[in-house]
Amino acid sequence: METLVDMMKLRFLTLALVAALPMGVTASTARYDTEVAPIFAAHCVSCHGPTKQKAGLRLDSPAGLRNGSDGGAVYLSGQPEESLLFQVVSGLHEKLTMPPKGDPLSEAEQGVLREWLAAGAELPETPEGAAGVESDHWAFQPVQRPELPALPEGAWGHNPIDAFTLARMREAGLHPNPEAEKTVLLRRLYLDLLGLPPEPAEVDAFLADESPDAYEKVVNRLLASPHYGERWGRHWLDLARYADSDGYEKDRPRPYAYRYRDWVINAINEDMPYDEFVVQQLAGDLLPGATLAQKTATGFHRNTLTNREGGIDPEEDRVKQAVDRANTTGAVFMGLTVACAQCHTHKYDPITQREYFGLYAFFDAALETDIPSPLPGEEAAYAAAVEKHNANVAAKETERAAYIAGLGEKLAAWEDGLTLPEEGWTVPAARSYSARGGSTFQALEDNSLLLTGEAPVADSYTVVLKTDNPATRALRLEVLTHPDLPQKGPGRSPNANFVLSEFRVFAAPADAPHDVTPVPIASATATYAQKDYPIENALDGDKGSGWAVGDGSKTSKNSTAEFLLAEPVGYASGTLFTIELAHHYGGFHTIGRFRLGLTGADPASIPFSDDVFAALKKAPDERSDADRAALLAAYGKDDETYRQLTAALAKAKDSAPAPIASVTMALANNPQPPVTRIHNRGDFLQPGAEVQPHTPAVLPPLKVRGDRPDRLDLAQWIVARENPLTARVAVNRVWEHLFGDGLARTSEDFGTRTEVPTHPQLLDWLAVSFMEDHHWRTKSLIKTILMSATYRQSSYLRDDIQQKDPTNRLLARQNRFRVEAEITRDLFLAASGLLTDSVGGPSVRPPVPEGVMNLGYANSIKWEESEGDDRYRRGLYIFFQRTVAYPMLMTFDCPDSNVSTLARNRSNTPLQSLTLLNDPVFVEAAQALAQRLLTTGPDTLEARVATAFKWCMGREPKAKELEMLVGLVQSQEATFAPLPEEAKTLVGPYLPESVSPATAAAHTVLARSIMNLDEFLTRE
Amino acid sequence: MHPLEEKILQSRRDFLTSTAGGIGGLALASLLQKEAPAKPVGVNPLEPKENHFAPKAKACIFIFMAGAPSQVDLFDPKPTLNKLNGQPLPESLTKDMRFAFIQKESAVVMGSNQRFKRYGESGMEMSTWLPHIGDCADDICMIRSMHTEAFNHHPGQLMMNTGVPTFGRPSMGSWINYGLGSESDNLPGYVVLTAGRGATGGVSNWSSGFLPSTYQGVLFRNQGEPVLHLANPAGLPHECQRLGLDTVRDMNQLHYEATRDPEILSRISSYELAYRMQSAAPELIDLSGESQETLDMYGVGRTEMGFKASRGGPKGTFDAFSRNCLLARRMVERGVRFINIYHASWDHHSDLDRELRFTTAMCDQPIGALLKDLKQRGMLEDTMVVWGAEFGRTALGENRGGFREANTGRDHHPNAFSMWMAGGGVKGGQVIGETDEIGWNITKDPVHVNDLHATMLHLFGINHEELTYRFSGRDYRLTDVAGELVSQIYT
Repeated sequence: METLVDMMKLRFLTLALVAALPMGVTASTARYDTEVAPIFAAHCVSCHGPTKQKAGLRLDSPAGLRNGSDGGAVYLSGQPEESLLFQVVSGLHEKLTMPPKGDPLSEAEQGVLREWLAAGAELPETPEGAAGVESDHWAFQPVQRPELPALPEGAWGHNPIDAFTLARMREAGLHPNPEAEKTVLLRRLYLDLLGLPPEPAEVDAFLADESPDAYEKVVNRLLASPHYGERWGRHWLDLARYADSDGYEKDRPRPYAYRYRDWVINAINEDMPYDEFVVQQLAGDLLPGATLAQKTATGFHRNTLTNREGGIDPEEDRVKQAVDRANTTGAVFMGLTVACAQCHTHKYDPITQREYFGLYAFFDAALETDIPSPLPGEEAAYAAAVEKHNANVAAKETERAAYIAGLGEKLAAWEDGLTLPEEGWTVPAARSYSARGGSTFQALEDNSLLLTGEAPVADSYTVVLKTDNPATRALRLEVLTHPDLPQKGPGRSPNANFVLSEFRVFAAPADAPHDVTPVPIASATATYAQKDYPIENALDGDKGSGWAVGDGSKTSKNSTAEFLLAEPVGYASGTLFTIELAHHYGGFHTIGRFRLGLTGADPASIPFSDDVFAALKKAPDERSDADRAALLAAYGKDDETYRQLTAALAKAKDSAPAPIASVTMALANNPQPPVTRIHNRGDFLQPGAEVQPHTPAVLPPLKVRGDRPDRLDLAQWIVARENPLTARVAVNRVWEHLFGDGLARTSEDFGTRTEVPTHPQLLDWLAVSFMEDHHWRTKSLIKTILMSATYRQSSYLRDDIQQKDPTNRLLARQNRFRVEAEITRDLFLAASGLLTDSVGGPSVRPPVPEGVMNLGYANSIKWEESEGDDRYRRGLYIFFQRTVAYPMLMTFDCPDSNVSTLARNRSNTPLQSLTLLNDPVFVEAAQALAQRLLTTGPDTLEARVATAFKWCMGREPKAKELEMLVGLVQSQEATFAPLPEEAKTLVGPYLPESVSPATAAAHTVLARSIMNLDEFLTRE
Repeated sequence: MHPLEEKILQSRRDFLTSTAGGIGGLALASLLQKEAPAKPVGVNPLEPKENHFAPKAKACIFIFMAGAPSQVDLFDPKPTLNKLNGQPLPESLTKDMRFAFIQKESAVVMGSNQRFKRYGESGMEMSTWLPHIGDCADDICMIRSMHTEAFNHHPGQLMMNTGVPTFGRPSMGSWINYGLGSESDNLPGYVVLTAGRGATGGVSNWSSGFLPSTYQGVLFRNQGEPVLHLANPAGLPHECQRLGLDTVRDMNQLHYEATRDPEILSRISSYELAYRMQSAAPELIDLSGESQETLDMYGVGRTEMGFKASRGGPKGTFDAFSRNCLLARRMVERGVRFINIYHASWDHHSDLDRELRFTTAMCDQPIGALLKDLKQRGMLEDTMVVWGAEFGRTALGENRGGFREANTGRDHHPNAFSMWMAGGGVKGGQVIGETDEIGWNITKDPVHVNDLHATMLHLFGINHEELTYRFSGRDYRLTDVAGELVSQIYT
């Protein structure tokens, strides 16, 4: 009761205050602040406010109310009973009752709400999205540099990283592993930084170098290697879902996708700061004076799939692409699983569906563009060709102009020799026109008629012309192209054709228009007719036949038909001709644009087009330039020299050099961006409320340069110092590549459902250091980690670690793990000496087993095998055909590149074993290694075995290992001795001179065995 | 913790204990381990696992007729079509439809030239071109009320295989192997067989998506070696292979002792399984042990019998499809969990009758033989056979380009189509669902693709809402966010 009384008082007060309100503040506004907002605060804001935004709705700010929920508006101004807001609190709604728990709104509160809505629901002006969202989730807190843990003087470690890890180990009663052996360290560095094994000479040099900075020197050298960009570029390409084809059914190749891949490799080799790296990829095209390289960087978001299947809805595919771009942006740069909010407000993370579409809106406004992007040399060659071409055209022009200049008398003589009828064709405007089947017409300025609107399958047109000519002898029908017609027409069928089934003419006196008589036609001619569709068909009275102009790809051109009347027609009062054009064929085969003409002359006596005829009728000094050009063209038909010169000029003009085909796939801003709307339940066919590009409120505010936020604003917001996610996500990913696991284990998700990082302070220390000390330079960050004692530990799994920390969260040892698919290939090729180590360029197609590519759609995948050195290039250069990816890569967990891959699987399967044992690529590697060993290696068996082992593992074999391998070679050699043919087959083309097939085969088995050892594929 | 998860972790603990003193056992890896879902640390990922509840099916043969067969010509007779032949449909039916190729303005109904017959005691109606499948009508549960969202091939095939019409998700065979493991210790748990032209979806149809590649479908090829890279390199005698593998194993064991990383044990097991597969796979595809009667029943060695078609596949397709059906039975016998038999293509936009004659002649005898063979061997009880495709076809004739005269085929139709199932707990001799007079919309008991998947998992003893995998911060499942059990299928 008390509440009600208070409410009454309040209402009285409000009413009393109305008169005293300042200008611009209405009674209703005041009631929002004083009455409505407190109701929301009391009942609603715990679920629809700063901490939770259920259904995407916030009721703690005017902006939240205006934005509505994921489903759209929650109130209708002036209509309380129609407003969801009121329905759910008053029992009017069939399904929903709010609040779901706790006290319902009192009658008085319901009354306030109803009156406020009824009065217009006015809200104070506040900027959209100004209200912040609160979260206590660690990853959304600002990144600050933490204090280093206090450790005793002289504690283990080389740099602050070790202080953080040691402190955690001590808490758990663990101690670090010792530093790994030098050979292990060296191979670890090579695999982590280059993805290639160290050469034996490099192993020896490192073992011999006892200087204190021996390790650092190797780190510096490897970070400067061009192969570093390949290794770390490939990590990035996983995130970028890079591939060389479209995906989906047709899966067409993208021959220039590699330009983006090479941009990544170069940027990483040049150690482009990560903030620039991000900005260029998201919005390089929007940077002031964007360079080609910066535009190429936007190829990041061109790696999205494209569906070119017949019958696809293009808008659906475009939406899918923008969705993928929004999802990828959230995941790759900020570790946010925004994709969850596509269909509904995120269940766990503070991201509403509206905010999802705010992010989506940035990419909704982007267009795909392929920009010419000449390769080195291409541009100069093109410029030279253009120059040559221009000179050629100029020469031909000069020659022709000189001839024309000397024509004066010949031209006059030609004109004098002509005999022309009194009149030519006239093209009167139609008096009326109609269509039986509902076609609609538009009369154009040249008196032609254009068919507009929905095309009926078939139709008959009727056109009425009036003429004062006392004796019309012929009619003319011109069928004309127009840009609005399918493929420019002249017909309305999808292939631009038409079939004129019947052409009929009637005449009536102008003063007795109902006195209509049919006009017989004697004959007809046409400038062009399709085979089996001659013009005569339009006069034969047979609906099933007709005149058509189909001519394959050349259908889109004008044609003319002339109809000679059986006898001249004319009435004293003027003549009304009614012309009927019937199309019975179907399939939209109707004429799309046409013009009717008539003449009293014999059409055969008018050998010229209307413009030539008109020019001839003018006195020479009244002729325009266009008239003179028309006459020259008409004259020229009979002047051999003129014709040749004109043809030569046309030919010269036609032979312009082909423009440079090399393109870069990039993004550009759509000058007329579509209105972005929430897709209810993620379905683009259910558009909801309109959304402007904006960023989630739980993160720092977006700074906007212009009127409308664009991708560059978004990119700069992502890399802003105050963005709490970007640097954390980036350093975590670097850590993951150097330890096998990130400090935050779920490197793909920094949302609220992830576990707290193993070393939250170390993560923040690295993130701050990355931004402030390393100035976003990744090489520098990597070096800091590599120099730490934590990185350099042995990966040996001690009993106490296995018991206390089985998943190695505390980093009391390094991890050991299998290398990725591409690196597996690289190791085989490098150890055998087959590897072609050139960097960049178009992707290659190494041989694949027969039948593999047939799995693509209807055998449409063309896999032209690369030749020569290209067969032996690194794994990352293999042409990635999305629907039939190179089998070996897929067997080893290479991502399918359909969506961004944030963490690869590392499976261990029998198919991997079969591939390593028997894939012809790897068998060839074994053959080549054996040959290399037998031709360049030492003489004794033991020494040879040791050499082969060192090529592969970067270390000498232990005594027991050596013994086993020597035993293998000996027994194999004995087995092969009586089987020379088998031995030769196994060795293939790699049989060294002066070595027995059995010996070569035994060494091939040796090489195959070493390269199938777990250690070979493992980064220890 | 979910019971299944607990079981898996338990089996992993058991494994680690039992192999602490030596190797042997199978490969290893962690599955539902929350902190590192995708990184095996040492349990056989294909080790048989316990179901959520007692299963009725142990294996599945999914016969996928890629391209989408016409249900109104094969399984869902619509006499009204012939009455309405040549007439346009009311706009209310076509207004909100999206077609791949049909031009709405001039499209007209196309009658069916097929004859239907009542088969079995249940009197189930099917085309007279499917006599062998018809013989099994009383074991078949016909669903005439399937529907899907996708109306283009690739998204549609992904939908039917992975539960969503987009890339990147695991296929049903991967999910089932992930959930249940494999009964076979020398063959993959998920095998794919194809005949005819490549399906639109290519290998994405049997991808393991974000699940480890352990669970991806392994293509058994119909040319060359049955499994890619199965055969030893030319010239390598068998004893050399064994000797080389022994050395690899012993040296890996040495290295395990030096590092103590259980992943090495996993590698050793993978090599052993690979070695066993080298003899098991050729044995599997070697049909010389099958009786002539069996070979004839499936039609192994058949030619195309004078039938011709432009989409149904090249010469040899009949024989390949017959072999695939027989191989599927042999695989189930050997413990393979999930088998996909693909045939492409049934995308009959034109020349429907001739193409259907070809494809029905191709598939009817071997599929009928498969059902009968499974039954006579007592295997049909726990082997589920599914026949279906990505969607159905329209009652409207296809009028690409607006030609009425050229209507000889049908366009894609996702609103209503037919599939059938048999065995593995499926109740035969019944028809589920009804469609309207022209097969345009469902009028009774709609079954969505996610519902079908939920029900299939149920028959495998899996609760579809609990078979999940954490990826990119979300727990994914085969049925995405939908799926209702269709209990009529099994009761």
